[in-house]
Amino acid sequence: MQDPDPRTLTRAREGDVDAFEDLVRLYQADLWRFAYHFTRDRSLADDVTQEAFLRAFRFLKGFRGDSKFTSWLFRIARNCAMDQLRARKVHLDREPPPPMGPSDPQSRVELQVALGSISEEHREPFLLIEVFGLSYQEAADVLGVRVGTVKSRMHRARHAMMRALSIDETDRDTTEEDAGGP
Amino acid sequence: MDHDAAERLISERVDGERLSTRATAALEHHLDGCAECRAFERGAWRLREAVRFEVAPAVPDLIEPIMAKVQAEAGARPASLRVVRDRPVHRRSLLPRLAPAIAALLVGVLIGSVVVGGPWRDRETGGPSAIAAADVTREVAAAASTLHAYQARFAITEHHLSDEVAVRELSMHVWFEAPERFRLDVVDHTVYASRTTPTDLQLIVNGSSWYSARPAPCPSAMCPPRELLVRNRAPFSPSWSAPTDLVLPLTTFAADDGVVVLGRGEILGRSAVQLELPFERARPLFPFLTLGGEWRPFFSNDRVRVWLDERNWFPLRWEVFPAGGHERDAWALRFGLPDEPSRRAIFEVDALSVDLATPSEDVFSVPETGRAQDQLALEVGLADVPRAAGFEPLAPADVAGLDLYRVVLPPAHDSETLITYADGLSFLKVGETRSWSDDALFGPVGPHSEEVSLDGGGIAYYEPSTADQGRRVSIHAAGTDLYLESNLSRDQLLAVAASLPVTGLGLPESWRVRETADGTTRRVTLEEGVEEVAFAIDPPAELPSGFALASVELASVGDATGVTLYFQDRDADVGIGPVRLHLESAEELPPATAATQAAVDVAGVEGRWTPERTQLEWVVGGVYRSLDAPGLTLEALLAIAGSIPDGDPPA
Repeated sequence: MQDPDPRTLTRAREGDVDAFEDLVRLYQADLWRFAYHFTRDRSLADDVTQEAFLRAFRFLKGFRGDSKFTSWLFRIARNCAMDQLRARKVHLDREPPPPMGPSDPQSRVELQVALGSISEEHREPFLLIEVFGLSYQEAADVLGVRVGTVKSRMHRARHAMMRALSIDETDRDTTEEDAGGP
Repeated sequence: MDHDAAERLISERVDGERLSTRATAALEHHLDGCAECRAFERGAWRLREAVRFEVAPAVPDLIEPIMAKVQAEAGARPASLRVVRDRPVHRRSLLPRLAPAIAALLVGVLIGSVVVGGPWRDRETGGPSAIAAADVTREVAAAASTLHAYQARFAITEHHLSDEVAVRELSMHVWFEAPERFRLDVVDHTVYASRTTPTDLQLIVNGSSWYSARPAPCPSAMCPPRELLVRNRAPFSPSWSAPTDLVLPLTTFAADDGVVVLGRGEILGRSAVQLELPFERARPLFPFLTLGGEWRPFFSNDRVRVWLDERNWFPLRWEVFPAGGHERDAWALRFGLPDEPSRRAIFEVDALSVDLATPSEDVFSVPETGRAQDQLALEVGLADVPRAAGFEPLAPADVAGLDLYRVVLPPAHDSETLITYADGLSFLKVGETRSWSDDALFGPVGPHSEEVSLDGGGIAYYEPSTADQGRRVSIHAAGTDLYLESNLSRDQLLAVAASLPVTGLGLPESWRVRETADGTTRRVTLEEGVEEVAFAIDPPAELPSGFALASVELASVGDATGVTLYFQDRDADVGIGPVRLHLESAEELPPATAATQAAVDVAGVEGRWTPERTQLEWVVGGVYRSLDAPGLTLEALLAIAGSIPDGDPPA
C-alpha cells in the first residue's frame, strides 16, 4: 500500500478535515476489504471501517511516526473489528457467509470457505501478509506482537490454508521422480 | 535439519526473507532429499497465486458517512445547514462537448507535424533530435525568472474512472501572474448515467490568501462545494502552495534522471519537445488529483509523455500510458481496473489555447467563505520590521537580481522575520531570529546538511532542493540565526548567503549530538570518524553525477559504533534522495525485515537487495555495509558498491 503524502498527513494531524478526507479516500477500500475478510460480514465491515476512521481522526495527533501510517491505521481497524465482534458476541469460527452474487467465481467461494475454516490467530497474519502485502514488521506492528511470532503464525496459517484448499503437490513430485528415473 | 525447521525456512523464503548463507545451504541440502518439503514449497507458491489473483469483493463507498461523522467530531456545521452560493447551473449546457473539438485539434496537429517532418525528427536537419534531457532541465530552470504572466485552457480526458464511467471529459483553465497570483478552474463536462457529484474544482492564490472549492459528496447531485479560505499565508508556503508546474514545470524537470527525450514537433503551432518520465516524477503536473473530487488511480511507474513549448517551456500536452509488468497488473487488479494496453493513453491533458498576456486583476479575487483559517503570518512594511520584531533584520547585499516581494512576521515565533524576494517564478526567502534556543539549525535544514565555506569567510549548512522545498542554507552566527530558501541555483544561493553581513560559525557540540530511540548519533568530520572506528572508512570512488560527501555521523547503540556517510546531489536532487552508506563491524547480515528481498552479487560477495527500501547490504572483511538511496536503481547502487574499496581483511 502506498504511503500518504507527508504534507497531507501533516495537515490532517493539525486537524484539517479536507486533508483527512484525502486519507479516507486513499485507504477506505483497503480498510474495508481487511474488515470484511476479518469479520466476513458486509454490515460489520461497514461499521468497522467507519469507526476505524473516526478513531483515527480522534487520535491522529498522537501518531508519532514510529510505525508506518498504514500499520497504525490497520491496527486501529483490527481493534475496531474485535470490539464489534465482541459487542455482537459473534464467534469468528463460524460458517462463512454465502457468496456475494450470482456471478462469483468458484475460486472466490473456495477461498472464502478456506479463510473461514482457519483460526483467527492464523487468519490475521495471513490476510495482512499474503493478501495485503504487508511486511513481517508491518504485520507485527498491526498485531502488536513480535516479528518472530508473526513468522511462526504465518507458517502455520500457510499450512492450514493449503490443507483447506487441498493444495497437495506430493503426487506431482513423486510422478516427476518416477518419470525422471535413475 | 528436520521437516519443521525446513518448512519454516521455506515459508520465510516465500515471504521474501533473506536467509543466511548457512541456512540456505542447509535448506537446499534438505530439499535435495525430501520430497515432502519440495511439495510444501510448490504448494506455498500455488497458494500465493490463488490468493493474489482473487477478484476483490465489491467495496462500498463509505466516504460520505465517514466524513459526516468526522465533521461532527470536528464540530463543523452539517452540510445541509451551509449557506449555498448561487451557482450558474446552465454552464454545462452552454459549453459544447469537448471531444469533437479535441479531435479536430489533434487532426490539425498531426497534419502540421507531417508537414515539418513529424514529431520524431529534428525540424532543421530531419535527423534524430539532438536535444538532451539535461538541456531541457537547464532551459526550464533558466525560464523561471522570465515568465511573468500566463493563461491557458486545457481539455482533460480520463479513462476508466469506474465500471460505470469509462471516459470523463473535463476542462481546465489556468491563470498566473508572478510572483504569487494563481488560479485553477476545473469543470467536469461528463454526462453521468446516475446521480453523481461532478468534479468541479477551484484554487485561487493571491499573495497572502489561498482559496479552494472542491466537491462535497452528498445524496443530491448538485451539492454545494466545500470551500476553504486561508488568510495570512506565508510567502511561498509549501503547505498552501500554488501548483505552478502547470505553468512552468520547475519541480517536474528539476533533474534529468529518468527523463527521456523522445523528439520534437509542433503543438498549437508552437515548436515543442516531447519527453517521457515516470508518473511519480511527473506528479506535480497533476495537482488537480489532490485538490478534490474523484479521480482514477495511477501506478507510480506509469509513463507520462509531456510536450513542452520549446521557447517558453510551458507544458502543452501530457498523457499517461500504463506501465507493463506483473506488479502493475497486480496493482490494477486490486483497484478493479480493466485491462489497459500499454500503448493506449489512460489520461490526457491537451492545451487548447495559451496566452502570455497578463490576466485581469479580478481573475484572482478570492471569494469570502465562512470556513477560513488564519495562518497568522503578519505582513509588515520593511521599515516597520525593527519595531515589530524588536531587531533590525540583516539583508543580503546580493539578491541575484530579484525584487523585494513580501515581509512577514511568522506566527507563533517571537522575534523572527521573513523577508522574501521574487522575479517571475524565481524566489528567495530570508528568515532570521535573534532568540534561537533549539539544539539544531534554524530553518528547514536538517542534521545531514553539507557544511560549506562561504566566499569571504564563514560557514553555512546547505541542503539541495526536494519536491516541495527549494535549496536551503542555514547560518548560525553570534547573536543571530538565519536561513535562506530559494529555487535559485546552488552557486547563486551561496553567493546570496555570502553577501549577508554575518560570519557563520560551525555547529556547537551540543547540536552535533542527537539522542534517538535506537541510540546516539553524533555528527563528525570524516577524519574524526576514521579515528573512532576499528575499520577503514573508504567512500565510493564512483557516485552519480553531482553527488559529493555532505556529512558523516557516528551511531552508537550499546557498545557498538557504526558510521554513516551521507552523499547529496549538490545542485538538484528532486526524485533522488541522499545516498547513504552505513558501515559497522559484523560477520553476517542482520535478520531480514522486509517481505520482498533478493540475493545479489555485490562485487563478488553475496549481498541482499530490499526493493521497498532501495537498500543494498553486504558483508566483507568483517564489515557490514548498507547502501540506500530512494531514487536510484539496483544497477546504480551496485556500481557505487563496486567502487568501494574492501579494506584490509581482519587479522
